[in-house]
Amino acid sequence: MSMAPPPRRIDAALSATAGLTSLAALVVALAVAPPDALQGQAQRLMYVHVPAAWLAYACFAVVLVSSVAYLLRRDLRWDRRAQAAGELGVGMTALAIVLGSLWGRPVWGTWWVWDPRLVTTVVLLLVYAGYLSVRGLGDDREAGARRAAAVGILGFVNVPVVHFSVVWWRTLHQPATVLSPDPSPMDGRMALALGLAVVAFSLGGWLVVRRRAQVLAGHDVTVPPTELTPGPAVVVRAGEHR
Amino acid sequence: MTLSAQVLAVLRREAAVERAGRELLTTALPLAAAFVVLAGLAFGPEPQALERTAGGTVWLAVLVATLPVARAVLSAELTEDTWDVLRALTGPGALFAGKLLGVWAALLTVWALTSGLVVVLFDVRPPLVAVGAGVLGTLALASLTTAVGVLVATGSRRRGLLPALVLPAGLPALLAGAQLSTPGVVALPWAVLLVAYAAVLLAACWTVFPALLEE
Repeated sequence: MSMAPPPRRIDAALSATAGLTSLAALVVALAVAPPDALQGQAQRLMYVHVPAAWLAYACFAVVLVSSVAYLLRRDLRWDRRAQAAGELGVGMTALAIVLGSLWGRPVWGTWWVWDPRLVTTVVLLLVYAGYLSVRGLGDDREAGARRAAAVGILGFVNVPVVHFSVVWWRTLHQPATVLSPDPSPMDGRMALALGLAVVAFSLGGWLVVRRRAQVLAGHDVTVPPTELTPGPAVVVRAGEHR
Repeated sequence: MTLSAQVLAVLRREAAVERAGRELLTTALPLAAAFVVLAGLAFGPEPQALERTAGGTVWLAVLVATLPVARAVLSAELTEDTWDVLRALTGPGALFAGKLLGVWAALLTVWALTSGLVVVLFDVRPPLVAVGAGVLGTLALASLTTAVGVLVATGSRRRGLLPALVLPAGLPALLAGAQLSTPGVVALPWAVLLVAYAAVLLAACWTVFPALLEE
């Protein structure tokens, strides 16, 4: 007998935790953390931009792991997880690009620059948009899952390139601050707001992927012929033509 | 039949298909040549601008040429209805390796042609390391082209997805190849990137290829 909590209870717990963490992140980011000394209030976009980018990376890692697991086990649950994570990853990548552009306007003076981080992130978005489209190459559900798993694995090759692009190239984009091996120069309150936002996005992302995978499972359900409900009987009386 | 014999047989078949159809000669090579000539016209005629863009032009031409090459990966088998026979007679590893070698030869030819055109028309002297980049970068792109070519060709719809899958995924080869073909650029980090990209992509394509062959 399984002792695991029922899925609805997990979803409810995730919703509550994600909601509370989001609220805390909102309060700390807007009311407690000071504005940046150089960038002013515009820097507060970081509390959404960075978590969105983080969640996108995490989603693409889930796509990779789920794709490998699908090819090994041929269990469609892994494919649904991969698809759900891929969809969220594409959305979060687009959000990170748009927010970065909004942040860049007051700080860099332009909406867009040909910066390696920006360009490689857009390329990442295209790779995973392609990943989602691959499922439509044919009608066979299993073949679509296999093709998607292959692209999910091949597409991940670009993720490290995007992440390290800021290190490898001379770039306008800010290098990694939190993940840098050097001690972080960030104010403690800013770090707290960013940390809370990352946790909130991660929990929210986990919930979205779970719920989306459940919806996709509903699409995959096929009703066996023996359980089909018979339609209403049609009675044709003598002399009537239907 | 040993693996190497199977690989050789597939490669011979690829060569025979190319001899019969002249696919590379009539599609990829003219496309790449036109690309270089038009790029020179667009970026030039200042020698400094041509020198700066020469490496990128070569690799962008190679990347664009992967599209007709990828379309040709299975075209003969699908036209002749011999794909099932080929899959039955050869193992997935041999099939991938044979097709990969054929595509690699095609892309190396495209790279050699575009590099030659750039040297002559752009009047630049690429560094020696550009040759290594050509060999490794085309190998990486060939593995991607082979896997994605088979993936798209075996589908029944959305064949136009090919560029959306190949071009973005070829980004590391484009960047590293362009940098390694540009005089005065520190080669080591780009060489490391290209070696890592080629190794990871080759391993990933080799691993996922059998799944693409299943019914």
